[in-house]
Amino acid sequence: MAILSLKDVKKNFGITEIIRGVSLDIVEGEKHAIIGPNGAGKSTLFHLISGRYNVTAGSICFKGQQIENKPPYEIARMGLARSFQVTNIFQRMSVFENIRCALFWSKGYGYSFWHLLGQQTELNDEAMHVLDQIGLADRAKFPSGELAYAELRALELGVAISSGSELIMLDEPVAGMSHSEAQKAVELIRKITEGKTLIMVEHDMNIIFDVADRISVLVYGEIIATDEPTKIRANSKVQEAYLGEVHSA
Amino acid sequence: MALLKKSSIWIAFLIALLGLPLVFDSILAISILNQMVIAIVFALSYNMLLGQGGMLSFGHAVYFGLGGFLSVHALILIEFETMVFSILWIPLIGGLFGLLAGIFIGSFSTHKAGTVFAMISLGIGELIAASSLIFSSFFGGEAGISGDRTFGPMFFGFDFAQNIEIYYVAAVWAFIATLFMYLFTQTPAGRMANAVRDNPERAEFIGYSSRKVRFISFCASGLFAGIAGGLFALNYEFITEENLNAATSGRVLLMAYIGGLGYFIGPIIGAVVLTLMNSLLSNYSELWMLYLGIMFLLTVMYLPRGFAGFIMMHQIAWIRGNMKLLIKPYIITAIPALLFTLCAIALIEMSHIEDEVFHYLGLELNPASPITWIVILAVAGGAFYAVKRSLVQLNDAWETANAIPKEEEA
Repeated sequence: MAILSLKDVKKNFGITEIIRGVSLDIVEGEKHAIIGPNGAGKSTLFHLISGRYNVTAGSICFKGQQIENKPPYEIARMGLARSFQVTNIFQRMSVFENIRCALFWSKGYGYSFWHLLGQQTELNDEAMHVLDQIGLADRAKFPSGELAYAELRALELGVAISSGSELIMLDEPVAGMSHSEAQKAVELIRKITEGKTLIMVEHDMNIIFDVADRISVLVYGEIIATDEPTKIRANSKVQEAYLGEVHSA
Repeated sequence: MALLKKSSIWIAFLIALLGLPLVFDSILAISILNQMVIAIVFALSYNMLLGQGGMLSFGHAVYFGLGGFLSVHALILIEFETMVFSILWIPLIGGLFGLLAGIFIGSFSTHKAGTVFAMISLGIGELIAASSLIFSSFFGGEAGISGDRTFGPMFFGFDFAQNIEIYYVAAVWAFIATLFMYLFTQTPAGRMANAVRDNPERAEFIGYSSRKVRFISFCASGLFAGIAGGLFALNYEFITEENLNAATSGRVLLMAYIGGLGYFIGPIIGAVVLTLMNSLLSNYSELWMLYLGIMFLLTVMYLPRGFAGFIMMHQIAWIRGNMKLLIKPYIITAIPALLFTLCAIALIEMSHIEDEVFHYLGLELNPASPITWIVILAVAGGAFYAVKRSLVQLNDAWETANAIPKEEEA
């Protein structure tokens, strides 16, 4: 059963076609990686699904409902969470506040101006629990704008997963990390996405083959193959278009 | 126990509000205190927009002024017994109309923050200020409108004819308004206002419409600005176009900024300092607006987080018990800095004054003589040089006071 289904999605910027008809089904519970050379449109595809961009044509269904061209907050409330390639947090607020804000909607607080946060023990405990999970518990009161890079990436992840969404989309979660940091991040991703559906864009092949159940290869705005990792490795079209390029580089 | 600790600062605030007129009991002092509590509510309401919500408004006086006009109209209705209720509730009328104006104007101005919001606020401000001169049956034209607060049912025998009586009314309302504005920052809507200020895009991906978050802050800000307007109406018993025009909007921006936008207490400090400058300095110099402008420039350039930010800068040194390292260098810098400021003021005043003798700090200076100018310039130059020299020391002391102790570093 597909939790997310894209049908012939297209996106133009002016006369430039960035996404040229993508159809893709994401099965509930799978870990799906999207790979492709730079400029293939991976981030754009993420932006289309999460509502940051409107589609030029085509349809996107999430849990049976059309979500294309809906504002991001409506899509987020349906249970689709995402992280960003460039860290995108609330930089003047503390680490704890970042996580707590990310929890508000799913915990039913809405736009409340009558709940005093100091008294919401359950919410505050939950925020601390998330901080524990992402390993930032001792940084709770730290201004988030002053975190180290790997910590920022962990916070970025924490904000994305706090909402308790069923579908989590991670855009290059380990980009720019050292090898050991990346290993830790992968462990973290595995832990926090357990039992959930994950779509991620990543460049590091080791990580992808390690985490993903299925891989889609996006080249110049089109998906040229979607399959299990071992079959993707063996796919001649993929080797030619993408992996070959990496090897020769 | 924790509750007691939390509320102690509020109890202190209330005691200060209620106790100040006992210490400063002259007519002038009561009048200044009245202005001060009104300014505190107004500046705090402005900070809900700019400091907490990231919305730069050039037209916040609109909500203050409309609240004030409606309040004066309510006073008139009470006077002619069309309505019968105690004038104690007038600030609520101001607040209600501030809120209604906020709902109406916020419905289209909170789409975007940044330049778009700032320009709309400027436009609305000009529009309302111009309208207030055109629709004179409601706004009273240039003369404004006036009422009388001594009508209506008495409150335990008080008819509020005295300024001191109205001060206590204003102080209690200011306390309530300040408390509610603080509590607002402790709610999900208040926190999301911070989040949208920092990163409106990401707020949308955690389920919040940035626009609606801004709208809620905007309405709340209008409500409290309206309450401040109602307090103004009670205090002065009249209101004119001046109270909703761009100059008033500019003044509230200055108060909030100079006090420090990032801290809840910032605008309170700003309101107190600016009211004092406004009332006291204007007795001594016609040029006080110029000094205010210079102070604003210096704050923006050297203390971007305002007076409150300057105080909070010392938190680390305070925690480490290193404040004593800073006292001496501060004094060494402050003395020539004060001297330089005094010289600069003398020079500015001398270029403005038309009298033959300029009385300044007990001296009789002759503005017509070049010697006076040369001497003051020389002293100013020397003082400036001394400040520059002493800054090196101050900087070193600052580094030492804030240095991370060796064992912590490891």
